[in-house]
Amino acid sequence: MAVELSPKMQAFTQEVFPALIGTTRKDGSVEMVPVWFEQQDGSFWINGGTNRGWFKHLQRDPRITLLLIDPKNMWRWAQVEGRMVNWAEDPGGEHINHLSHRYMGRDYQNPRTGRIKVQIEPLRVTGAIDGWR
Amino acid sequence: MAGAKKASALSPAVRKLAALPILVVLGTKRDDGSVQLNPVWFELKDGFFWLNSNTGRLWPKNLQRDRELTMLLVDPKTPDRYAQIKGRLVSLIPDPTAEFIGRLAHRYTGKPFRELEPGEHRVTFKIQPVTVTGQMI
Repeated sequence: MAVELSPKMQAFTQEVFPALIGTTRKDGSVEMVPVWFEQQDGSFWINGGTNRGWFKHLQRDPRITLLLIDPKNMWRWAQVEGRMVNWAEDPGGEHINHLSHRYMGRDYQNPRTGRIKVQIEPLRVTGAIDGWR
Repeated sequence: MAGAKKASALSPAVRKLAALPILVVLGTKRDDGSVQLNPVWFELKDGFFWLNSNTGRLWPKNLQRDRELTMLLVDPKTPDRYAQIKGRLVSLIPDPTAEFIGRLAHRYTGKPFRELEPGEHRVTFKIQPVTVTGQMI
């Protein structure tokens, strides 16, 4: 069951920093990588090439964990346990360009082909933003 | 953020990043196989990552079960520069006088560590980096 983000989390996820995502490889080890994200209507959206390890992992096991942390204040962080509920091609790179504007304030500079966007539904939120639980 | 490279030892760039008072994010696995992520204090010394925790927390339990974890260091100024480090638990060292966590508290806050809570047991984890991938080798 998806959880609704608190008002504090709603605000925190509008701030501009990468999400650190954790997925599991076939051998059971954890892969971690920083990615651009946005939160919209309670879902998290990330974008990548179809050859990315994390996307392959999610097709096998849709569970994904996101760590959001303020790079200027280490005490402000949240861990979001979620799962991929949907993915779609990003024809023309419209979504990656949208993320590029959020992070860089300009058009996306790299090739826009062969990309997908992934929707993640939050199942549990822990960490310092909502208070410990 | 694609295009990972591999290296077997920690490069000068990674060592320089690890010398900053930034957090390392630990990736461990819960009993159900899902990923647990925790930002923690650390120190890189003598080629090993040194972590410290209260034994009651989840990531130390996960780490003791699997004996391995993944760690992520991200350059705070340039977030697409990062190092992903697979590590192996070498040993567990009790820290009954909170000496090592006190040292970490100084590294990160410039102050002594808080008073230990009743029944709180601190333990130091010695982690050997096994592989390093990412955008800054």
